[in-house]
This record gives sequence, structure tokens and C-alpha cells, in this order.
Amino acid sequence: MVYTDALREILGKNVIFDPVEKTPYLSDASAFTGKEPIAVALPESVDEIRKLLAFCDSNKIFVVPRGGGTSLTGASIPLENFIVLSMAKFNRILNISPADRYVVAEPGVRLDDLNEKLSEINFFYPPDPASSMAATVGGSISTNAGGLRASMYGTTKEWVLGLEVVLPDGSVITTGGKVLKRSAGYDLTALFIGAEGTLGVITKAFLKIWPKPEATGRILAYYDSIEKIGLAIRNIKASGITPLIAEFLDRITMDSLRKAKGMAFPETASYMLILDVASTELSISDDLERTASMLRDLQPIELSITRDPEEMARIYEARKGAYSSLLKVRTSSNQRVIIGDVVVPASELPAALKEVAAKAEELGIMVALFGHISDGNIHANIFAEPGDKESMSKEEEFQVYLGKVALQHGGSVSAEHGIGIEKKELLLDQERFTSSEMSIDIMRKIKHAFDPNDIMNRGKIFD
Amino acid sequence: MTENLLEQLEKEVGNCINCGFCETVCPTLDPSGFSLWKGARGRVIMGRTLLEDKKNGIPVPVLSDSFYSCLDCHACLYVCPAGVNAGKVSQLSRELITTSSDRRNENPYARMIVEVTAKYGNPLGVKERSADWAEGIGFDKNADYLLYTGNMFQLMPYTKNLNSARKSMGKALSNFMASRVANHPSLIRLLSRMRDRKMEQKNFETLRNIVKLLRISGIRFSYLGEKEPYPGTFIYDLGYIEKFSKYANYVHSVLKGSGAKKIITVDPHTYDLLKNTFPKFIANFDLEILYYLDLINIPTIQDRKEKVVYHEPCHFVLRDPKYSRPFQVLSSTADTALAKRSGNRSRCCGGPDELTFPELSEKASQIRYDELKSTGADLIITACPICNVNLSKENITMEIADYLAARLPS
Repeated sequence: MVYTDALREILGKNVIFDPVEKTPYLSDASAFTGKEPIAVALPESVDEIRKLLAFCDSNKIFVVPRGGGTSLTGASIPLENFIVLSMAKFNRILNISPADRYVVAEPGVRLDDLNEKLSEINFFYPPDPASSMAATVGGSISTNAGGLRASMYGTTKEWVLGLEVVLPDGSVITTGGKVLKRSAGYDLTALFIGAEGTLGVITKAFLKIWPKPEATGRILAYYDSIEKIGLAIRNIKASGITPLIAEFLDRITMDSLRKAKGMAFPETASYMLILDVASTELSISDDLERTASMLRDLQPIELSITRDPEEMARIYEARKGAYSSLLKVRTSSNQRVIIGDVVVPASELPAALKEVAAKAEELGIMVALFGHISDGNIHANIFAEPGDKESMSKEEEFQVYLGKVALQHGGSVSAEHGIGIEKKELLLDQERFTSSEMSIDIMRKIKHAFDPNDIMNRGKIFD
Repeated sequence: MTENLLEQLEKEVGNCINCGFCETVCPTLDPSGFSLWKGARGRVIMGRTLLEDKKNGIPVPVLSDSFYSCLDCHACLYVCPAGVNAGKVSQLSRELITTSSDRRNENPYARMIVEVTAKYGNPLGVKERSADWAEGIGFDKNADYLLYTGNMFQLMPYTKNLNSARKSMGKALSNFMASRVANHPSLIRLLSRMRDRKMEQKNFETLRNIVKLLRISGIRFSYLGEKEPYPGTFIYDLGYIEKFSKYANYVHSVLKGSGAKKIITVDPHTYDLLKNTFPKFIANFDLEILYYLDLINIPTIQDRKEKVVYHEPCHFVLRDPKYSRPFQVLSSTADTALAKRSGNRSRCCGGPDELTFPELSEKASQIRYDELKSTGADLIITACPICNVNLSKENITMEIADYLAARLPS
């Protein structure tokens, strides 16, 4: 069916129909490839979105909102009979109020751009997924993104005060707002966090901001086992220190960073720990030393401390690019790296990792492990060949096993990447594991309340 | 040749994980209305499409605008965690397009430029006027140094007027005209009568100032005058590699014929091409390539009252981020700032798209201009004739040679 004239009337020049020009919208950062959308809309105003959604609602056209296109689970790709709704032009920071601790931003603002602006007044917005250079405010809310600093500041859900949302029938609601507390019935804002665009289109976000830590320092420590890192983190947290970030990387990941970024690591190290401490100028040295001392108790192969901003930025960027860097250690050019994302209670992480590594060995597949050790978040990166049936079958078996390990240790099948297309089955497994199958029905009913014709990102999270 | 190209392209796109970091620094994404195929990640995806279609023997759709709109700034390379260069994907894809028998993907302006350069040794057929700036200047004979202008300053007044004509014609008519010229290169003579004479005088003055700066610094050099060929930058950038190889050898023979051992270039495109690309196409390339500011030695100004902002050309800072000679020289004469996006995050002025995508180029240049102006500097200083034209929005943009020459002790 052709909707060209109607869409042109609503969107003017802000719409793409050319099949070739639409090609990049078939993919995001996941391994999935979507179907050619009817059109790609690039609206400039809320009014255009209102009209577009009302039109799609009337004509049963499905809509996938797209932010930075960094989803790792296929949440932002179009399926059959879809329109892609790119929020790229909603990229303004509207208001910053340090006194009231909020910023109002449009959903297309990239997280690094937001933080660059906030840093001018010495504030920041803490959620920092590794994709923060490309990830947007809207996308990160829609997946409840976490990141490195979640160790200290939690995930996105802790930092969203309110939203302006266009609903599928074209109406506009504001949930929450500029205030730091609110007790006024159901928390509708929370429903949109992690909803992956299945309920409506976020057009404005009220986000909590925070003063930047006065002083930070970084410890790099290398160990021969993950248990030692796990124990060290437990000791550090028990002593009252909450790391600003605490990242672990395995040997394969270190080797990929050596190849991609020219970084050097001790040859005998099996695991690396990157741990940041936030403090005041007066006490940062003492805090770093106190933390380092607890790390030294576990006999690291090597340990160093830096406060050099350039060096810290280099390591931070390298860690954030670790996933992409893994391609440097592929054993075949047909291989892709498919990232897994599960979470367990932090103290369970070493045991969970051991099980995961054993499964990889049993299946004979290469898996690189890194993640956020302070909050128990494991990223297991599987090297698989999409064109090879056996390889993909092992990848799937491994992903299912990874989810099972997470559940058995009291965690979740998704920590910070969402469900998308990839984890729909795993979500069902999770609800079954906790005898909460009804949760999916409740989710469906909530979706129906917002989106009775089921046009918003249909086929994501659940069927 | 094509197989080798396919392998190179496969290697480059195969390393991409679609993270999208590259498109955050791509200077063409925003000016294209955020259409992804004119952004860095989109180009890698389109490169993958081209590769797959070629490998499978499927007719390639018309996708070349994606690659031709790339400014070749290489900003994407510096943010890619996997070391993918989306600029290289564009370059390889253009090569594949130009070596294909299917002409639908060829850009008419690209073909026009290549055919005219092949015939006249100059992309707009105005070689005989390229030495007018030097009238009355006596150059040394048989010097170690050869001043090689590469015709870039001389060409800008023509491209500016050509673009104005193009805009008034509309895309279809303009493309038809370019195709006609490509088929009959002598038609360029009609178009090249149009030039911006004011800009021509200004650019001639810049070249004379470069001569002045070199002479004050004690450098003796020769100049080829009208015999000086255009270096072939467009032929290479637009993907006509076989033609470029032949042309580069011709340019090299002319330069060698001068007897000079050291070539003084005056713009970053020519500098980069001669220094980094020519050696790949010319056996035993042994000419030393310099930028004129490498040689000048002028007094430092102690009381630097003027605040200027320096726009770093991509072909310096994004080819070799350590190359900072223009900034050093400028800093010795003025309170010199850089824009927020500088160094390996520098943003292109949009200039290289001026002929092929004029509207995109204009929007890109406006974004960069606003960034530079927001520093609060009194002047914007450029070190490239293309940047200079594209960033001359108001009367506060100046080429570095003109700025330095005006501040020499009388």
C-alpha cells in the first residue's frame, strides 16, 4: 500500500521513501537485519509526530522510534509494515537548572553531548552506557541503559524525573516533571523507562543532574583469577567505599585492546580491573591508597594508580570501545561478535563467570568476558558466524545458558540492553523461573491501555 | 584490480560493528537532514551493500551519492573503536563505481572534472591563467626549492561562480550540463569564462604574500608558471585511480624536470597528496614535500592583542594530528584559540563537496563557521583556499599568509 501523499502532507520534506536511502535504517548495533520500512520519518516538531502517529494508528501501520541506533537487541529495527521514526532532529538541550538539579532535553540529544554541555557548569548526567558517544537520551531511557558509572549512580531509571510523550492516538501527555520528588498516583514515567518505544514516542525528557565529583582517581590492577577481583570488590564495598566505576576485562578483551588501541597489559594477567574512586581533593590520595591496599591484599600481578586526566580518558574510551575492538581478534573474517548481557548479585559474579567460561569451553566457542563487576553485570561476547548454522546454534545455546546462569544466581536475563527481538524467549524463561508468567500478561494489558491498536514497535519485548 | 578492491572493501566494512560512533563526528550527517546514508555509519552499510551486490553479481542500485558526499576528512577514523575508516570505504566504493561498466552510479560532475583535467591539466581548463598572479615577480632558476601552487588558489574564483550558475540551473539541468562537458571537455571553456574577479585578486594577493614570507625567510625557489600542472587531487578523490596513476606520473615528471629536490606546497590538499599519496603511485619517489610555513621564519610578536581562532584543515590535522606548524606560527603572532571541535575531533568546512553537493557543503560550512565564531575571536584564520572560501561568511575570515604578511615589520 502506498502512503506517499499522506506522509508527504504530514511531514513535508522530512520523510524518506527511496529504498536505497532507507537501507541504513534496516540495522542497528545488533546482529538483526530488519525489513524495508514503508518510509523513514525525520520529524522536526511534536505536531508532526502527533499527526504521524494518528495516521499510523488509523491505518494500522507500525512505528519504531529510533534514537542513536545503538540497540544491541534489535529494539530499533523495523519489521514488516513499519515506519521508522527517527528522532535525530530533536537534538536540543532546552533548559539547565543546576539549582533545581534538572536538565530538559529532547530525545535525540546524544549522551556525550549532554554531558559536554553540563560539564561547563561542573555538573553531569550519570548514566553512561558504553555507547554514550552515539546513544541518545530517548534511546537510553527506552532501554533503561546502565553503564560504567551505574556502580555508584545506578541506571537510567534513577535519573528520569519526567517525560513528554506522544501517544499512538496523537495525544500528548507529560508524566512527572521538574521536581525531585512526587507522590501522585501511578508512576507513569517509570512505565516508559525500558519500554523500548512500545508505548509512545518520547519528545522531551526531564532528567536529574548532579555535581561532578570533586576529584577522581583510577586504579588498574591485574590478577590471575576473577575470584580475587570479586573478593577485592566485596572487601572494598564492605569497607564503605563505593567505586565510581569497577570494570573487569578478560585476557581476550585485553588482547583486542592491544591490537585496536596499542595498549599494553602484563603478559601473565588473566583479568584486569579498572576501578575509579571519587572523592574530594583533600582526601582522594588517601582514598585511592586505602582502596589500592585492599586490592594489593589479593596479590595482583601488577597495580598502578593514575590521576592524569588524559590517561584516564584514554582508558575510559578504550573500555567503552571494548566491544567493537573485539573484532580485532576474530579468527575468521566471517565472524561477528554478539554481545550477551546478564546480571547477577555482585558477590555471585565470580561463580557465575566460572560457569559461563566452562560452558564456552564445552561448546568450543570463543567468548570474551568483560563487564561491570561492582553491580554484577556480565557481558559475554560470543564470536559467531551468522552464515554458519552450527556456529549460530551454539551461539543460541550459549545465550540461553547465560540467561539460565543469571537466573540461578538470582539475577536477570537482561541488565542494561533491554529485550528487543533477541531476548523475548529469555524474558519468558525469566518470568517462568520466578513463577511470574502473569507479568507478561500485565505488560500486554499496560501496552493495550496506551496503544490499543498495537502499532508501537510491535514484536519487541513480547509477542 | 576489482578483486583487490573488493578484498580491501571487505576488510574495511567487515571490521564494523555498527556502533554508530563514527556518525557522531561525521560533518555531512547533520547538513544532509540526518539521512543516515550521508553519514559515516551509513556509508559503511552502503559499502557493504555494494560489496555484496558485486560479489553476487547483482546489479548495484544507484547509491553513489552516499560515497560522493563523503568529505574525506577521516574524522570517523579517530572515534572508531575498531579502527574502521568510513572515509576509506567511500574512497574504495568510488573506485569500484568508476571501474564499473555501469555508468548509472557515476557522478556527472566527477566525470566532468576528470575528463577536463585529462585534456587541459586543470579541472576547469584555465591552466594558462594560473600564473597571472606572478606577473612581475622574478623567480630563481635552478633552485633546490620549487614553489608548487597546485592551482588551488587560482581555481577557487571559478568554482564559486560555477556553483552560483549551478544553483540557478537546478540539479537536473546542471547534471546534464556536466555530462555534456564530460563528453566534450572543450565546452568547459564557455563555463570557465565566469570567475569571481574580486576573489581572484584576493587569492593572487595571498600567493604573492606566500612568496613574500618565503623570501623574508631567506628561501630561494623557482616556479613553473603556466607550465605548472594541477596535482590531480580531484581525480584521486573521486575514485579514478587508474587515471590518477597515469596523471600523477605526468605531474611527477614535470616536477622532477624542474631540477628541484624540494617542493614547496601552499595548500593542505596538495601537500597531503604529494607527500602521502604520490609515493604509492610513483616508483622511487624522492622529492621532499613541504608546506610553505615549514620554511618561514618570522619575528615573534610579544604584545599579542588580537584574538584569532585557527581552523585546522582536515588534510593536516586528520592525516597527521601531530602536524601543528600553522598553529605554532600563528600562535607566535596572535592570541590563538581553537574551536571546541579541534585536533582529531576537528570538523571539516564542507569544502570538498562544493562542486558535487553544493547545498550540503554550504550547510556544513555554516555549522563550522558558527563553531569558530562562537569562540569570540576577532578573526577566523584558515590555512587552505577551500576552507577560506567556505568559511568566508562575513568579513572576519583571513588566510594565514595574508594575516602573517600584514604583521611583518615594515
